[in-house]
Amino acid sequence: MVVIRVPKVPDDAYNPDRPVSGLLKMQIEHMHEAEKRLPTRYRSEIYPNAIKTEGEAAEYIRMVTEGIHEAHADAAARRAKPAKKRKVGIEIAAVADERAERQIRSKAKKRKSGKKN
Amino acid sequence: MSVGLDKLRHIVVLMMENRSFDHMLGSLPGIGGMDDAGAFSNPDTTGAMANPQSLAAFQGQLQPDPDHHFPAVDLQIFGGNTAPGRVANMQGFMKSYYNQQQNVAHSREILYYFKQSDLPVLTTLATEFAVFNRWFASIPGPTICNRAFAHYGTSFGRVDMNLLYINEPFKSIYDRLVGAPPHTSKLYYYDTASSTMEITNLLQHQPEVFGTFDQFLSDCEHGTLPDYSFVEPNYSDHDTDTGEEVANDQHPDHNVRAGELFIASVYNAIKGNAALWANTALLIVYDEHGGIFDHVAPPACVPDQFTATANDTGTGQPFAFDRLGVRVPAILVSPWIPKGTIVSRVFDHASIPATVTKFFLGDYSPRSPRETSADVFIEPQGPAVDPARNLLSLDAMRTDCPDFE
Repeated sequence: MVVIRVPKVPDDAYNPDRPVSGLLKMQIEHMHEAEKRLPTRYRSEIYPNAIKTEGEAAEYIRMVTEGIHEAHADAAARRAKPAKKRKVGIEIAAVADERAERQIRSKAKKRKSGKKN
Repeated sequence: MSVGLDKLRHIVVLMMENRSFDHMLGSLPGIGGMDDAGAFSNPDTTGAMANPQSLAAFQGQLQPDPDHHFPAVDLQIFGGNTAPGRVANMQGFMKSYYNQQQNVAHSREILYYFKQSDLPVLTTLATEFAVFNRWFASIPGPTICNRAFAHYGTSFGRVDMNLLYINEPFKSIYDRLVGAPPHTSKLYYYDTASSTMEITNLLQHQPEVFGTFDQFLSDCEHGTLPDYSFVEPNYSDHDTDTGEEVANDQHPDHNVRAGELFIASVYNAIKGNAALWANTALLIVYDEHGGIFDHVAPPACVPDQFTATANDTGTGQPFAFDRLGVRVPAILVSPWIPKGTIVSRVFDHASIPATVTKFFLGDYSPRSPRETSADVFIEPQGPAVDPARNLLSLDAMRTDCPDFE
């Protein structure tokens, strides 16, 4: 079996201050479009037009990506929560009580109006 | 029945950034590259001819980033000829690069290519497994629309980097698979700071189909890779909690050696799990040529059902998606592929969803005209496999595949 040695990357290859490429600019724009649809609590509070370097771009992209994931995760958690049980019997009783009260009030009104008439 | 196809359970696609075939693999002899570099030339803006030379540098050479938007690529392919009936001649690369800096000497560097010894990972994989020497970008244009062909089999009429809105009914390859249980699919981006170039559609609406590269490594180790995986490299230099991450997408002017290491890490992760290695095929491909010279004229192709307007293309002419983009490196890796396989059939990125769909799902519709006409690089399973087209053709798995360290 042949073992191929892969040369290391020189230390000076790393430059987070490198100006953003056209590709990253477009990725930022696309991220910004996605961010606009997020509820405010998931947004980055970074002004994308002020991003100049790869490091800044990466920070913005990270925050929006995590925001999208968090927003979906929270929505899924809400969806998964068991729905509150409706207290059907009590509500029916309450409705029945209300109906009965309305009937009593109505009869009383009629009686009052009958007196007037 | 092919044993390799019979065992195949996973297809992994790694899509790198912005390098042409001749630039990366042209130094390899006998594969349709730079065997006779002196036979290829481009005129500079003074009319003097220059030849490609094996002087490509890992970093610091292609500054500014060579233009690869639609009008620039049109110039590169047609040499500035805009007349009806024009023929692609690949004569406009230096003219195009000159437009960015008005420096004739600098414009010659767009013809430079790497020596074989410069790229031990990519050239070893190309010679050890199957190299495609007629794999073209899907569009003579930039990243986003080309990557869209890999995800959807179409760019929905886009030839640029703008937001891509899906026009039904063409679903992404991920949708198709996860919508057909028990099939599975995942798109692995490097980390959240690099994220994905497939933002507007998938990340916003289906974040569950995404994972990170760390998850990819873990899924390889534990044998939990989905049927289909698409891997994206790191697009930026950035700090993380664990240290510095160097961009490894090979997009100019990122360091090419970082990309070599990344490709090796994807290969090693698959090969490191013996069971996974036996039932996985890995395609390494570049999204487009990045404005860098290649000598093969892109062929015509079946038109897509969309047309980009003259305003969209920026050339004054509409585009019917009836011609491919510039040739890019593409390599298929599997221990069932004979060493030194060269594939000269025409492919483009629409071949990715075409192959994955046919292999895992069989007949599927609707798909774009470009995808339904695209060739497949892995034959569909079944008794009627054409041996002449099956790349995973060995009766026994190879034990002599290389390791990278």
